[in-house]
Amino acid sequence: MAISDLTTRLQEKFQESILDVSEYNGEVSINVKGLVILEILSFLKSDGFNFLVDLTAVDNLTLGGYDRFAVVYHLLSHENVERIVVKAYVPEEKPSLPSVESLWKSANWQEREVYDLYGIEFEGHPNLIRIMNPDEFEGHPLRKDFPRQGREQRKDFPVVERMTRGKRL
Amino acid sequence: MGLIHDTKSNVLTTTVEAAVNWGRKNSLWPMPFGTACCGIELMAALASRSDIARFGAEAIRFSPRQSDLLVVAGRITIKMMPVLQRIYEQMPEPKWVISMGACASSGGVFDTYSVIQGIDQFIPVDVYVPGCPPRPEGLLDGLMKIQKLIEKETFSDYSKRK
Repeated sequence: MAISDLTTRLQEKFQESILDVSEYNGEVSINVKGLVILEILSFLKSDGFNFLVDLTAVDNLTLGGYDRFAVVYHLLSHENVERIVVKAYVPEEKPSLPSVESLWKSANWQEREVYDLYGIEFEGHPNLIRIMNPDEFEGHPLRKDFPRQGREQRKDFPVVERMTRGKRL
Repeated sequence: MGLIHDTKSNVLTTTVEAAVNWGRKNSLWPMPFGTACCGIELMAALASRSDIARFGAEAIRFSPRQSDLLVVAGRITIKMMPVLQRIYEQMPEPKWVISMGACASSGGVFDTYSVIQGIDQFIPVDVYVPGCPPRPEGLLDGLMKIQKLIEKETFSDYSKRK
């Protein structure tokens, strides 16, 4: 199936949710609103895009864009050897969008990573907790307004002295 | 008796400190804490070309309760620091610590929110080995410096440890 055919059908079906469609070097990328991402991706999955290659996010604070955050889904169709990129935009206040864990199990940890580093919440995720930073960590480090050297997290430890036998931390 | 005449050539007098220190410095049991590329150089120091066994420190223990030399080889993140402190506390006295490489000693190039900028802020360190990563010879030099430290220990140092 030709990919241009697919984008026309997508635009017909999700007319008000698709912000724009662009093509570069034979690869199509679609910008959509965050709330409908589950419907769009299940449509694409039933259309042959069976593999979630990558799930990540972008902070548009300095880049500009439709909204503050974009969650990016890279899909691959093994059957047709076609790729597609879907960018779902979510606002700065309470960034949240539906989880696609029900479509691809691999989205589970990737959504946790995006939640950990960007603070974007995924509704319907079975276990949305931090995946890399410590559980008590505050803030989301890949946001552009997070200071590179952190907020004193790396100084927040008790000091173990020499000859501490019998003492516990 | 013939025995008495023979003592001059067969008996060596020394102090208890010197005898204990001699034993300790030549049978260090390292606990490797390799979290990055320094860990690979640490393994190279163990292998045949550098052969840390020449210094009596070939008995690598992966249990802190059986070791007396902690080699921190690699960057320590904020999530790893409580683990490292726990391991240090689990080691029995007497114990020594080598901070191997730029990352463990100062954070190295990783001046970010998640990397500890020098483990000596939170646990005691005896010898720092510079390098990124240090060559096995560097680590062996650090080990010899630890041995020099052990040589200088006195009875009052032992009793402080209880």
